[in-house]
Amino acid sequence: MLKTDNESRAALKAPAQVVSLCVNGEWSELAVKPRTTLIEAIRDLIGLTGTKASCESGTCGACTVLADGRPVLSCLTLAVECDGMEVRTVEGLAEGDKLNPLQEAFLDHGAVQCGFCTSGMLMSATALLERDPKPDREAINKALEGNLCRCTGYNGIVDALLAASGQPVKARTE
Amino acid sequence: MILFDFGYERAATAEDAVARLARLGCDARLLAGGTDLLPSMRSELVMPATLISLKAIAPEAPCLGAGGSLRIDALTRLADLERSELVRERLPMLAVAARAVGSNQIREMGTLGGNLCQETRCLYLNQRHDYQFAAPCFKRGGECCYPFPRNKRDVCWSVYMSDVAPALIALDASIEILGANGTRRVGVEELFSGSGLRPLNLEPAELLRAVSVPARPARCGWGFHKSSVRGGLEFGMAVCAVSLRLEADGQTCAEARVALGAVRERPVRAAAAERLLAGSVLDKARLAQAAAEAAKEANALPHHGFTKRHLTDNLRVYVRRTLEQALERARKEERAC
Repeated sequence: MLKTDNESRAALKAPAQVVSLCVNGEWSELAVKPRTTLIEAIRDLIGLTGTKASCESGTCGACTVLADGRPVLSCLTLAVECDGMEVRTVEGLAEGDKLNPLQEAFLDHGAVQCGFCTSGMLMSATALLERDPKPDREAINKALEGNLCRCTGYNGIVDALLAASGQPVKARTE
Repeated sequence: MILFDFGYERAATAEDAVARLARLGCDARLLAGGTDLLPSMRSELVMPATLISLKAIAPEAPCLGAGGSLRIDALTRLADLERSELVRERLPMLAVAARAVGSNQIREMGTLGGNLCQETRCLYLNQRHDYQFAAPCFKRGGECCYPFPRNKRDVCWSVYMSDVAPALIALDASIEILGANGTRRVGVEELFSGSGLRPLNLEPAELLRAVSVPARPARCGWGFHKSSVRGGLEFGMAVCAVSLRLEADGQTCAEARVALGAVRERPVRAAAAERLLAGSVLDKARLAQAAAEAAKEANALPHHGFTKRHLTDNLRVYVRRTLEQALERARKEERAC
């Protein structure tokens, strides 16, 4: 058990630190406390609210962003740890008003219902397609295992990834 | 969201991290991937005054050492471990075990050392104690135990759930621990104290630096299985990792190592089952007998809604299946496994 008693905690002044963060190609300097998580920095300080906070304990994947190309959980990453890193969020996928092929595929295949998991899903999918441009169903399932969706039943999402990577999608007969 | 303030420092090297730990005392914690520490801080199970970040220390790539042993930096991310050609070729069991951990994102963030040094878990311990469970449990310095209300002693029956640790034990790995007085090297098993209150045998100013796995001898096979409800994004229900080495005749077992995870406060070596296997001709009946013995001696703690009976039955089946897998692999493979 590791706890600091209240007195030493009150004495502890955690000063804000300045970190520079490149989010979707734009550098910003942010004053954050060590306890500020990456998702708090992205949503509350930068104002990009596409990334969603849900479980905040690493068990849902809704907050997934790409940090230096790796899909990471922004709720379990401290903003100070990301000093100098390039972060990509769901807002960085579309070019202006034009959705990217992956986003189009999500719409075409019914991969979005309530939409709360979608931004995390898209970022995990982007990371997968950058590593493996033609993933099979099994690889897709494994890559998306950390993203929970309570609406779609996942088939639409997997179909969307297959379609976005130029692979045939079996028509379902239901 | 973490509800308390703490300080933050970055260590430049592993030695620097140890020096900072020694200076700050037990109010400091090391931060690597953070996938276990930050949830623990969120639930206020751990409330360090300072975090010492290991972010600036680049992990060395896995490399072959003397006698073909493989040294893996503890800061290697689990995703890099599972993708490393050297690890996949030499120690496929370790790659499979790393792939079984958590989710894609957890593996991209979490490190090998962090996985080994993870906090034990129970259904009540790893969540906030300020509303449902106002009274702190034994591990939180209190006077009660939620999963075992009749537990009146100051013990904690939370479960250690690393998937990688049983695989490393089956592979006979050792770890390098960097402390203020230099490096010490112990077997992986010696990292675990067996106490739920303080599961790791690490001094306050020590850092797990690397894991070394000896070369696999000839006629050696492995089996690994993690049971879970969903099959992903989950801690294990029970984990079996076994390694078998056969004599030249391809029938008799020369050495067996059976390690079980997620059943006790530490990974369990099934010593009686290993004794049953070593020196005997392996057939289906013998493997089943050893599996039954392993399930019995694991003496599984009920955890996360799984009863002891359920876990024992699970182990009996999956230890047998992983042993069968290992035997098949040992017979197939002429050389290393």
